[in-house]
Amino acid sequence: MSPAPVDGFYLPPALEAGVETAVQRFGPPHDAVEIRLPIVAPQDVTRWIAALRQARAEHLAQRPIASILRPLERVVARFLDPKDRARRLLVQTVAVCGRFSAPMVERALDDAFEPLARGGFRKWIASELGAVSALDEPAATREGVLRRATGPEWMLQIYAGNVPTVPVWPLFSALLLKSALFAKTSAQEPLLAPLLARAIAEEDAELGACVAVVWWKGGTAELERAALAAAPAVLAFGGDHAIASIARQLRPDAKVVLHGPKVSLAYIGRGALGRAALPGLARQVAQDVALYDQQGCLSPHAVYVERGAPVTPVDFAAALGEALEAASTSLPRREPTASEAASVQLYRAQARFEASGDPKNRVLASGSGTSWTVICESGARFEPGPAQRAVRVHSIAGAEEFERAVGPSIRFVEALAVEERGPRRAALAARFAGLGIPRIASAGALQRPSPLGTHGGVRRLSPFVTWSTVERSKGAGASPRAPVKKASRPSRKGSKTRARPRRRSR
Amino acid sequence: MPLPWQKGSVDSEVLKWIQRVPWAPDGGGSRKTEELMLRSFRHQAASIPAYGAYVRHLGVDPARVKDWREIPPAPASAFKSHDLSAAPTEGASGAVTFETSGTTISQPGRVRLSSTKLYEASLLRNFQRHLLPDGAKLRAVVLGPSAADAPTSSLWFMVDRVVREYAGETLYLVHHGDPRWKAADDAFRMAADTGEPLLLLGTTLLFMAYFERLRIKDASFRLPAGSRAMDTGGAKGQIAEFTRAEVERGFEQRLGIPTGSLINEYGMAEMGSQFYDDGLIAAHERRAPMPGKEIPPWVRTRVLDPETMNERRDGEAGILVHYDLANLNVPLAIQTEDIGRREGDRLFLEGRLLGAEARGCSLPFEEFLKAGAP
Repeated sequence: MSPAPVDGFYLPPALEAGVETAVQRFGPPHDAVEIRLPIVAPQDVTRWIAALRQARAEHLAQRPIASILRPLERVVARFLDPKDRARRLLVQTVAVCGRFSAPMVERALDDAFEPLARGGFRKWIASELGAVSALDEPAATREGVLRRATGPEWMLQIYAGNVPTVPVWPLFSALLLKSALFAKTSAQEPLLAPLLARAIAEEDAELGACVAVVWWKGGTAELERAALAAAPAVLAFGGDHAIASIARQLRPDAKVVLHGPKVSLAYIGRGALGRAALPGLARQVAQDVALYDQQGCLSPHAVYVERGAPVTPVDFAAALGEALEAASTSLPRREPTASEAASVQLYRAQARFEASGDPKNRVLASGSGTSWTVICESGARFEPGPAQRAVRVHSIAGAEEFERAVGPSIRFVEALAVEERGPRRAALAARFAGLGIPRIASAGALQRPSPLGTHGGVRRLSPFVTWSTVERSKGAGASPRAPVKKASRPSRKGSKTRARPRRRSR
Repeated sequence: MPLPWQKGSVDSEVLKWIQRVPWAPDGGGSRKTEELMLRSFRHQAASIPAYGAYVRHLGVDPARVKDWREIPPAPASAFKSHDLSAAPTEGASGAVTFETSGTTISQPGRVRLSSTKLYEASLLRNFQRHLLPDGAKLRAVVLGPSAADAPTSSLWFMVDRVVREYAGETLYLVHHGDPRWKAADDAFRMAADTGEPLLLLGTTLLFMAYFERLRIKDASFRLPAGSRAMDTGGAKGQIAEFTRAEVERGFEQRLGIPTGSLINEYGMAEMGSQFYDDGLIAAHERRAPMPGKEIPPWVRTRVLDPETMNERRDGEAGILVHYDLANLNVPLAIQTEDIGRREGDRLFLEGRLLGAEARGCSLPFEEFLKAGAP
């Protein structure tokens, strides 16, 4: 039985007509999904972008933000509804494609859409732009500055396929900024972004007319060039090579955010290492490790555990192993490729090799197969593993040892889960934030970032905004050439305190 | 116990065997390869401290190992974290250190050999069989540096050694890291004019870079019949955006070298022996070429299920673990990350096509290394 092919792209109806497509099989041969993909030529890219810009001018640029948010909120509600058709199709096809198990996709969708529900969009916009209305007209900041936020005419977004919901917030962000969006999906995950775009179009055809989501073979140079050379704003996720190649082709004045490869870590202070708390703590860390099979930048690759508590780092490693074993049924992983399994096996053999020279090191692993691996070693170092739920537990003396090991590689760290009891937790968090780690979270929450936070230390809307500041008129008939006094002027609104002469900044 | 290289020593026995073992599956039915592997393993467990510790850590008593399959393979990555050599650190004459690339764990790995005798015996016999079965002595063009220019590369050591042994005048195209394509053009034009066939050796990437240059210039050469080429993966981990068919087409269209005269080599610094395609020897023996690469009779390759590490049946794909008699100063059994299958004495490598696409915001260790972190 072979079900009808699923669309691995979304084009507004006017553009979709006449597009040639090819059907490609994804997933294991016995259970592949057929995905319909467009055959894209450089002139298509140029033509589509022109049409998106036109649609934006007609339907989006002048539209009040409140009327944009309403349909987007309906889309969010749909993707949070377990019975919704788009959500069911997504869960089904992503799981069959072999990328992630169905419970994992369900989880990912909840985590991505939940923060946008119940006023989430408004909170997100306000947290970055001050006032939601700043997207419609000049709005006063708390300091009394009047400013309006304008998004780019259109954005180019290039997604990675490691975590299924990576495109969700970026895709919405373009529409929040009233920008048209031309997005390229990843070959590994060509489904979510088109399904989301289609759902948006179903709720609001005018918004749908401003979005196109397509896929083409990575490194198809002319296509990439055509899009990159024209884009006034670019948001891209990818490996080092992809990011470097994108950076070389950008328009010099483009507003750009590029996300290269990163990993996350966990730090467990001795105060958090009590007997009673151990199973729960291990479960939280195991969940962070198990989600998305460590494919994402929020996946911890190492846990730094302080010595000197009733629960030793070796005890913690054992508990983490048990929790990962439990997670292998509650959050099943997808079947790894032979190469991925081979990397895990080499990683284990290497760890055993190292353990043969250090009796304090331990290698714990799933009874059969590669479903999880915990390596316990004394001392800190920073060395990401092969993913596939392989994690290193480092027994350390304290924060200084952690900082020494991780400090030089801090730019590769996306988030750190910190667990400790009492006020020391805040002190540790402050200390590690001082290293420049973009996000300090708690264990079990690493994979649930907030749109109010950053990605890679960069906010999600503001980097693409052009601010228009509106200065107040000096009064009717004021001569534009009136001399500016160096001395202070009395406050126009008649402040109660007497204005002291203020030094003008230069 | 006899001293190294003296009659009856494991070194000299292995050397003799590599030079004489018949080219036939399993060395013509002899058990000698396996016997020597066991002897060599016991020697290595005693003489390479880190490897010996690993063997004991796994609970293996070298004296009780009776089957070569029980020899614990060293992970290829351990060359990067440990000194895996029995050779004295201060090299005597003939000592050499190669650096590895591509697999896990920071810093390049090191392969220290107190003598290259076994390595040379293996590479010369293997190369001659697969590239020069007709005994031709050809002028050589190397798309790469001379060994003097790349003293820690086992690949350029090998190339240097075979051209000195078997080739005529040799042109090295890479100097101090820069390819001199103009010199290549001149050499190929001259060969086409004079009708004198060439032996080309180099990395697939460099060949493809050269072909791309010819494509832009809309140029090509027709090298005389008898010309042949060896291409090899070279530095692992480099992004290869082309298929084998594209490589073959490049050789055919740009240089006039037919696929039967293009021999791909698979090797690694951690191993003294290599694996080659069959095209030239098949033509020489007037038979159809066999697919896959030949496992030399002094090498055994096991294919393990990536999940269970149990041995797979002939023809089934899995993790490649090589057992190479040419490794004496370093462990003879090496666990790789490579995926492939074996059919008799033929080895089939499976491309890492899936890994070629960017992995997004996660950080595979390889990329972390390439990013230049400590």
